[in-house]
Amino acid sequence: MLNDVTFGQYYPVDSFVHRLDPRFKLLALIAFIVLLFVANNFYALGACAVILIITVIVSRVPVGSVLRSIKGIIFILVFTGVLNIFFHSGETVYWQWGILKVTLEGIIFTVFLMFRLFFLVMASSILTLTTTPVALTDGIESLLKPLTFIKFPVHELALIMSIALRFIPTLIDETNRIISAQKARGADFESGNIFKRIKAMVPILIPLLISAFRRAEELGDAMDARCYSGSKNRTKYKKLRFGWRDLVAFLFIGALIAGVVLFNIYCYNIFPQIYAYIRIS
Amino acid sequence: MEDIIVCENLKYSYPGQEGCAVNGVSFRVARGEFISVIGHNGSGKSTLARLINGLLEADEGNLTVLGMNVGEGKNAVEVRKHVGVVFQNPDNQMVASIVEDDIAFGPENIGVEREEIGRRIDWALSAVGMEKYRHATPARLSGGQKQRIAVAGVLAIKPDVLILDESTAMLDPKGRHEVIEVVRRLNKEEGMTIILITHFMEEALLADRTIVMNRGEIVLTGAPEEIFKQGEALETYNLSLPRISMIASELRAAGMEINNVLKPGELAAEIVKNFNRCGIFGGESSSPAPKEPESAGEWDIDIKSLAFTYSKKSPFATKALNGIDLHISDGEFFGIIGHTGSGKSTLVQHLNALIKLPQAEKKYHKPKAKKGQPVPVLPSVTVGQFDLSDKKTDFKALRASVGMVFQYPEYQLFAETVFADVAFGLKNFNKKLTDEEVERAVKDSLEIVGLNYEEVKDKSPFDLSGGQKRRVAIAGVIVTKPHILILDEPAAGLDPKGKREIMELLHKLHREWCKTVIIVSHDMDEVAENCTRVAVISNGSVFACDSPAALFTRSAELSALGLDVPLTAKISTYLGENGIIIHSDCTVKDFSEKVIEVYSGGADA
Repeated sequence: MLNDVTFGQYYPVDSFVHRLDPRFKLLALIAFIVLLFVANNFYALGACAVILIITVIVSRVPVGSVLRSIKGIIFILVFTGVLNIFFHSGETVYWQWGILKVTLEGIIFTVFLMFRLFFLVMASSILTLTTTPVALTDGIESLLKPLTFIKFPVHELALIMSIALRFIPTLIDETNRIISAQKARGADFESGNIFKRIKAMVPILIPLLISAFRRAEELGDAMDARCYSGSKNRTKYKKLRFGWRDLVAFLFIGALIAGVVLFNIYCYNIFPQIYAYIRIS
Repeated sequence: MEDIIVCENLKYSYPGQEGCAVNGVSFRVARGEFISVIGHNGSGKSTLARLINGLLEADEGNLTVLGMNVGEGKNAVEVRKHVGVVFQNPDNQMVASIVEDDIAFGPENIGVEREEIGRRIDWALSAVGMEKYRHATPARLSGGQKQRIAVAGVLAIKPDVLILDESTAMLDPKGRHEVIEVVRRLNKEEGMTIILITHFMEEALLADRTIVMNRGEIVLTGAPEEIFKQGEALETYNLSLPRISMIASELRAAGMEINNVLKPGELAAEIVKNFNRCGIFGGESSSPAPKEPESAGEWDIDIKSLAFTYSKKSPFATKALNGIDLHISDGEFFGIIGHTGSGKSTLVQHLNALIKLPQAEKKYHKPKAKKGQPVPVLPSVTVGQFDLSDKKTDFKALRASVGMVFQYPEYQLFAETVFADVAFGLKNFNKKLTDEEVERAVKDSLEIVGLNYEEVKDKSPFDLSGGQKRRVAIAGVIVTKPHILILDEPAAGLDPKGKREIMELLHKLHREWCKTVIIVSHDMDEVAENCTRVAVISNGSVFACDSPAALFTRSAELSALGLDVPLTAKISTYLGENGIIIHSDCTVKDFSEKVIEVYSGGADA
């Protein structure tokens, strides 16, 4: 039986990307985001796209699932797009009304920005699609380890995250049960104005809250009974290990980062070229 | 043998509560002993468990575990390494989302080396028979499996004593059996000392020694056979006799000589012995009174080819119902039985349209008939006048007529007063009621569930006892005077007396309040004892639907499905092998009468 942690976005297939060390994936995501914002021309951005496309293919997650993650941020994308298109300054002005104007530079900049955001969301969702929340928690705990030296409660934080993850499915089940029970008593959650709907939530929220406290109390007892006494003298069973896959992936991403940096240096600024090209034609 | 636990005059009272939860308890437990502790809710069993484990500190008295005085210094923490506790709710004991991580939690806490933790996980998983689930996530396991993982999590600390604090109360019979088997094996093979706290008399019988608690005191202690001989004494402690002892005492009253036995086969042998002594070597009882022929009532329920799949079109699609055909007549006391996950809860949620038929959904479009393929059969459900496959049906009116009490309904209480909570449903369904009408309806429904209206109406529902809360929750459903009342596991988690009282309440409601009562259960004895007809659901379809008398003659088939049969049916089977055929309706009373009928009939002849 495979890990079948099924809530969240996790897409349960076995692939090269799924098997990478979660710490590596987290660091790679951070590196990729930095790269996206360092990239200042379309060639560099193209290199970023190559990283993404290859990762998606290797991860065996259907493209549709990856693209679906865009849905959630489509509003932000449109909003920033509109804002930039109307407010970005530039020389070639196509349309102007008061302080609102549309310029060629503005359009190019907006397209560039949209791609950046688009790639950013895609990359993050590849991480969550290929990594179980549990592995992510382990990864974050391990990466934060050094902070224990400045008395940062890493172990406690990790335990809180782990317990939260563990109880998400339980509480979802419970919520559904309570909703059904109150519906059976004629409660109506679907009609009325916003205030009515908020008021209709009370018969769900109160039992849920009470049950969460009851669970917390029982869990506390169970943890006490299993000798829990904080992080002191505690050992850790699970250790994350970098494997050959991580090395391969590291080399691959390293090469592409180098590519992006080179593009950045040699095609110092792609804007004038495109700009010139458009003007000539 | 060495005494592993020595309690002397232990006393404990919860701060802010009157009276002692544990009041002067003394007992000893020898290493390797298997002890069962029984007692009504609030008798102090769980408090005792917490004292022994060091979670609570006794106010008075001495407690020594493995020679350590638990009251001294850091011993209360140290003792937890030696005394493990498994609690009631399997969901509320796990900290990690992956089985092996959760089992590692205990050993990590006491600083066990990494490699050793790995070995302990292997050992603990094999001790509970869950090796295959090392990387599984608890949310996807059954109740019994989760509880076995909780046991493994405690075992990994390598305790000397294992306490199970009502650990089987929330499980179905299969899960209960799994956990109890694990515990017995640990006791026999690993020599582990076991303290089993339970409401199930049948489980208590398995121990070497049984302790009976009542109001914080130990009132009886001894071998289980001896304890359960004292029928009346147990009743005064709010406990019930195991069914097998009830039958034995009925037969004894009719002049048969029955020794104290605890297994159905043994009881059957005792009966046969009595028969043979009187020269009876076979016989057949009369059949139970034939059922009245079914007549179509106003509120019949009719289900045809009902199918349902959860999370359709996702990688996690699970088929819950697979073509159900079922007819429930107006006025029945109907039982629906099956394993957890057999689809029985999904089935009943269709009856008040909490789950709507696909045709009744707003977005439903008739699928186009494809050439060469048979036209798919659409499911249909009718409840009285309501056609549930019609979008235009008044589903709100339906829900007012079909009351549904969910499992552990007390967890859905929310209002500030009992009155407001009970009135909630009524006001939802009928907004035009006057205050007097609401008050009268709330008063009536609180009184029929056996609560004193004046006493409880202004109380917070959260200040009531567990049994009272459940009654308030039931009152909150029946307040609309539904024609049909559906209850999902109405007696779950209650002590024997509470169970009996709830079933009595349901019969009262059936007589005076709601015409049809449907209970969903996994307890065969409960269903056999109470229902006029029973449907067995297995893997999303109806395996059989019949009266208990007819159904439980097919005990071999039911066992093959992994379902239990009532005790009376088990004994009947053994008797049948000896030529004594008993046709009973499977209740303890009728079964005993039928056995006596054959006995006295044969003796007269």
